[in-house]
Amino acid sequence: MNAVYDVIIVGGGATGAGVARDCALRGIKVLLLERSDISTGATGRNHGLLHSGARYAVTDHESAVECIKENRILRKIAAHCVEETDGLFISLPEDGLEYQTVFVEACRKAGIRADVIDPQEAKRLEPAANPSLIGAVRVPDGAVDPFRLTASNILDAKAHGAEVRTYMEVTELIREQDRIVGVKAYDYHARTEETFYAQVVVNAGGIWGHGIAAKAGITVNMLPAKGALLIFGHRVNNLVLNRCRKPADADILVPGDTISLIGTTSSKVPFEEVDNMIVTPAEVDLLLREGEKLSPILAQTRILRAYAGVRPLVASDDDPSGRTVSRGIVLLDHAQRDGMQGFITITGGKLMTYRLMAEWTTDLICKKIGVKEVCRTAEIPLPGSAESKEEVEKKIRNRPITQRRSSISRHGAMAVEIDSENSLKNSLVCECEEVSVGEVEYAMEHLGVNNLIDLRRRTRVGMGTCQGELCACRAAGLMGKKDPVCARKAKADLASFLNERWKGMAPIAWGDTLRESEYTTWVYQGVCGLSDETTKIAVK
Amino acid sequence: MNIQQNTVSENNFEQCIKCTICTVYCPVAAVNPDYPGPKQAGPDGERLRLKQPGFFDSALKYCLNCKRCEVACPSNVRIGDIIQSARIKYGPRKNTSLRNFVLANTDLVGSLATPFAPVVNSVVALKPVRFMMDKVMAIDHRRVFPKYAHGTFTSWYNKHAAAAQAAFPKQVSYFHGCYVNYNNPQLGKDLIRIMNALGYGVRLLDREKCCGVALISNGLYNQARRQAKINLKSIREAVTDRDLDVITTSSTCTFTLRDEYPHLLELQNDDVRDRIELATRYLYRLIRSGQGNLKFKEGAPLRVAYHTPCHMEKMGWANYSIELLRMIPGVELVVLDSQCCGIAGTYGFKKENYRTSQAVGESLFRQIEESGADVVATDCETCKWQIEMSTSKPCEHPLTILASRLA
Amino acid sequence: MKFDVVIIGGGLAGMVCGIRLAEAGKKCAIVSQGQSAIHFSSGSFDLLGRMPDGTEVSDPIAAMAELGKIAPEHPYAIMGEKFCAEHLQQAPEILRSAGISVSGDCRKNHFRITPMGKMKPTWLTIDGYLTTASSERLPFEKVCIINVEGFLDFYPEFIAEEFRKQGVVCNFGTINLPDLERIRRNPSEMRSVNIARVFDREENLEVLAAKIREMASGCEAVILPAIIGIGRDDAFDVLKSKVNTPLYLLPTLPPSIPGIKAQQALQHRFRSLGGEYFLGDTVLSAEWKDGRVKELFTANHGDIPFRADHFVLATGSFFSKGLVATPDRIVEPVFGADTVFTPDRAEWYTLRFFDRQNYQAFGVRTDRSLRVVKEGVPIENLYCAGAGLAGFHPVQEGCGAGVSLLSALFVADRILKGE
Repeated sequence: MNAVYDVIIVGGGATGAGVARDCALRGIKVLLLERSDISTGATGRNHGLLHSGARYAVTDHESAVECIKENRILRKIAAHCVEETDGLFISLPEDGLEYQTVFVEACRKAGIRADVIDPQEAKRLEPAANPSLIGAVRVPDGAVDPFRLTASNILDAKAHGAEVRTYMEVTELIREQDRIVGVKAYDYHARTEETFYAQVVVNAGGIWGHGIAAKAGITVNMLPAKGALLIFGHRVNNLVLNRCRKPADADILVPGDTISLIGTTSSKVPFEEVDNMIVTPAEVDLLLREGEKLSPILAQTRILRAYAGVRPLVASDDDPSGRTVSRGIVLLDHAQRDGMQGFITITGGKLMTYRLMAEWTTDLICKKIGVKEVCRTAEIPLPGSAESKEEVEKKIRNRPITQRRSSISRHGAMAVEIDSENSLKNSLVCECEEVSVGEVEYAMEHLGVNNLIDLRRRTRVGMGTCQGELCACRAAGLMGKKDPVCARKAKADLASFLNERWKGMAPIAWGDTLRESEYTTWVYQGVCGLSDETTKIAVK
Repeated sequence: MNIQQNTVSENNFEQCIKCTICTVYCPVAAVNPDYPGPKQAGPDGERLRLKQPGFFDSALKYCLNCKRCEVACPSNVRIGDIIQSARIKYGPRKNTSLRNFVLANTDLVGSLATPFAPVVNSVVALKPVRFMMDKVMAIDHRRVFPKYAHGTFTSWYNKHAAAAQAAFPKQVSYFHGCYVNYNNPQLGKDLIRIMNALGYGVRLLDREKCCGVALISNGLYNQARRQAKINLKSIREAVTDRDLDVITTSSTCTFTLRDEYPHLLELQNDDVRDRIELATRYLYRLIRSGQGNLKFKEGAPLRVAYHTPCHMEKMGWANYSIELLRMIPGVELVVLDSQCCGIAGTYGFKKENYRTSQAVGESLFRQIEESGADVVATDCETCKWQIEMSTSKPCEHPLTILASRLA
Repeated sequence: MKFDVVIIGGGLAGMVCGIRLAEAGKKCAIVSQGQSAIHFSSGSFDLLGRMPDGTEVSDPIAAMAELGKIAPEHPYAIMGEKFCAEHLQQAPEILRSAGISVSGDCRKNHFRITPMGKMKPTWLTIDGYLTTASSERLPFEKVCIINVEGFLDFYPEFIAEEFRKQGVVCNFGTINLPDLERIRRNPSEMRSVNIARVFDREENLEVLAAKIREMASGCEAVILPAIIGIGRDDAFDVLKSKVNTPLYLLPTLPPSIPGIKAQQALQHRFRSLGGEYFLGDTVLSAEWKDGRVKELFTANHGDIPFRADHFVLATGSFFSKGLVATPDRIVEPVFGADTVFTPDRAEWYTLRFFDRQNYQAFGVRTDRSLRVVKEGVPIENLYCAGAGLAGFHPVQEGCGAGVSLLSALFVADRILKGE
């Protein structure tokens, strides 16, 4: 039997998740299909910067206004995913102060609070900032955790009736004359193909949306732009640091949970490479060279890993050369644009505006299928964000302090759901990030975790200093406990988890990172005798 | 590219690669499950505290500050320093408990007690008094209190020794510490006798305060810093103005003056650090380099078991004391496995730590009983108290044993 | 301080070298920056498990001859098949003299079982640990795999999954005790060592034995994680005497009890032979004279140097900072010795974790006598032993322990013969 929906969303990034939630809240029967795990594309591969909009104020007034609006909304509805740190735009001697004047003026025009502060005060506020700074502007930047944000949208969507299927890759858009009526999708777990029908199919595939549109014979002119970032071993700064100049490479340092990250580079890449982004030594060097100017301590701080995402830049429809790109939200109604009914593409934009993108998309869906409900995603808090951290903490006082506070920062009010009945549940799986057995079990049961890499996105297992050296096997052990099939899967899964961690470490594997890798090799390949079961399976 | 060439992170805790070796050697984690262990309390916790100071865990107070984690660490992470610094940085600001004040202020209490030593000693030995101290001050009633001397070392020195010592052509400065001053002036006298035999006169510093180790461990950081400044000033006068080396007879005082001042109290001592050393090391160098020689009398065979105090282990200097003891004719030396005795200065006096303290030392006590030694030798006064209280053996400073055998 | 030989590094290579020299009457000192990688031991010592191309080795001695041809820079090739063959008995004897009872045959690898149930070819295994002569057959058909409740560093399900491939029926059992409950109060310290401390107590060992007897019924063997005997050496024997079913240990994730015990045993042996062991100290600089190392200065000992006729660099590889990688080169930090590496960082590794990574074969440049080379010239009285050597892949080739043991003996031999 083939299932019928009002809407099928293709893509489980922040936008797709946001659309799913918005639809579900408006009572629309929705299915979200994601070929991998949620937040695996550009959603999970950016700064995690809660933009105030200041960065765009001078160059893109419209984006700046969108950002500050969404910034205020996210603080309210996604409190547990957001860290209200504020940010500084610092001027270095080489930048001069001319830009500052223009910048502050543009911020004010966009409605962004921008306070010029004394350089001494700036250094006091943020000791990690380059002490040679000659000027600083304080803006309401912050940090937002994209994994939590997406997971929370998914949770709420499901709570309101949405169906979410991960590891389901859309292979075909089913077309009847000039209308898309459904999709065929391959289920990687069951290894079967399934067919789903809907009145509207939403393409929220990010850079992969290019290929999805192509399945309908439609060209969306996208330009894959690679952005590389580096993660440092601990939280170096407490305020977001930006350079007060025209946006350029590696000029944002964002504190996020236990770490800080610097980015990004920007380079065009061919479509064939978007599934396998590798950070090159030249990119690492550039990030370090520029990063050091923002915060000199980075030169002596341990780097945990390097990674890169691909921004889905969209060329304007009226410029076939593809040179004019939009960084703004692009909502394409293919009925109007291409004469193809029942098909919408939502792309462009940024993590910051995911909710607004979802709102526009859902508004268009509603128009198409005749739903009158209005958007409420700007008012209703996401799961986990309804209560303050202090309130939540009162309820779970019995847990060890470091574990308690870590779990609250990851799950907000949902931390209460984590089983901490006894010492067995409180035992730590991941010692760097304080993830307990109870939290791992909670994630496996409630947060749609299929494997260790998913688990990392939900809990930070393996995101700490040791990059999984201590915890990967423990988590695999927990996942493999149920039955022999689980055990076999978990062991293979462990190998792919280690491969995934190493991929991010290799570009910066010197110093302590290389020491850590050698040790990890001894433990997993030596003591445990593990080999790459993923390739073996593939060969057989 | 110049950056990241010196790849060892300046944030020392980041050199931790989570190998877990420190957890094997932590004497507290082995016996007290309320202590998070050196890895969690140290580098792992530090990363969380840098995220947000609210991640400070008050259970860090259970750390003995023995630094055995640091000795074991293959990555050179200053785990003990990280934990103690966190207590200073994030811990409770005011520590007003009377008990901690009394335990921490060794020289204040010492100077009050020594004039009335016979009375004080017998009073604190009384069961009802110990019971009261236990109830009122949470000083464990099972703990045997160190005895106070009747009259301080400094008053004896000033009255009876100063003039004679000044007459020696070669001089050395002596940081005697609270223990010699208030509890065991004899050790100071022994040192003087040995130094004199080598042709050195012993002077005192112009002004000496308690090194502050007990203040640090009891959270009285400002007072510790004040006293450290006074000591550093006196030491600088001795070293810079008079070109004198400063020697001590306590491994913990030495360690505090040399390493805890810069690492925990953030007082730089680079200019004088190398000139502060343990007397046994000073003697070893003099004798081994042929600049001095000690003549011993023939003595009855004596089996001595040497116990390496934690801070001695950290400094790596046990060998000097051991080699000196080996020079004494008739002494048969057994070197005990280096492990913590559990007292850790004032730690073991506290009621809440008594159990931990004795459990930590348990296997050392067993080793001592089984060693067949006549006497235990150690360079730390609090180890001495713990060993004498917890085993059947007497415990002496190596220099006391050495002095007793001088010709 | 004056010694005949000063060894920098207190791991397997440093310690065995020191023991061998001390046995021969040399006054030795070992200076070690911290505890060594023996703390992660699997309970076995590998000699040669696989050839560089990945083929499994059955007879290590025969394979060494082959290795000499295809990998002339391999430490085994440098030391020579003849030396290796002659000294392969000496290595286990040194371990045994220290009280580490090992079994194995250098002409025929046996298989150790890992905490995940994998079988790896190896040379010597500490007695009590499960081994098998053939990777196709286990010495039992029905086994009970026991774990401690809440112990996360041992994986009965993974082990069973492998065992079942050979038709072995696996039962599971878990142990819990009030004293274990006490350790678990601390969320991070449910580690092998702390558990072993619980079973150092006679009464807990008794309860453990009783529970094993109960769970073992109908099984031919019982498997336990290595959580026995940290404070006392006889714990496993006592336990075995109380259980009728054959009892085997399997290693756990770090910290490793067999490793810690081996480390302590070697240290005791070295000290009992008159060796001086300086733990937690870092060599900062060396004084040279006429192309020889004259003395070393360390962080702890300041102006009092370590003098010796010979020096051995046994500081290991990256983990123990015997080698330090910067973004563009590999540095030997103590002497600034020459190192073997490829300058382009992109060639140091592939992006797949399990690949044979080039960086693992980087190391200190030596001559054919394993003397350390600096600025192209071998230093007369400075040798290198152990993991810091270049030209081998300790994990992929399963030869880490063998290289450490044999190079330690090789260097000791050179020093003893050189006089």
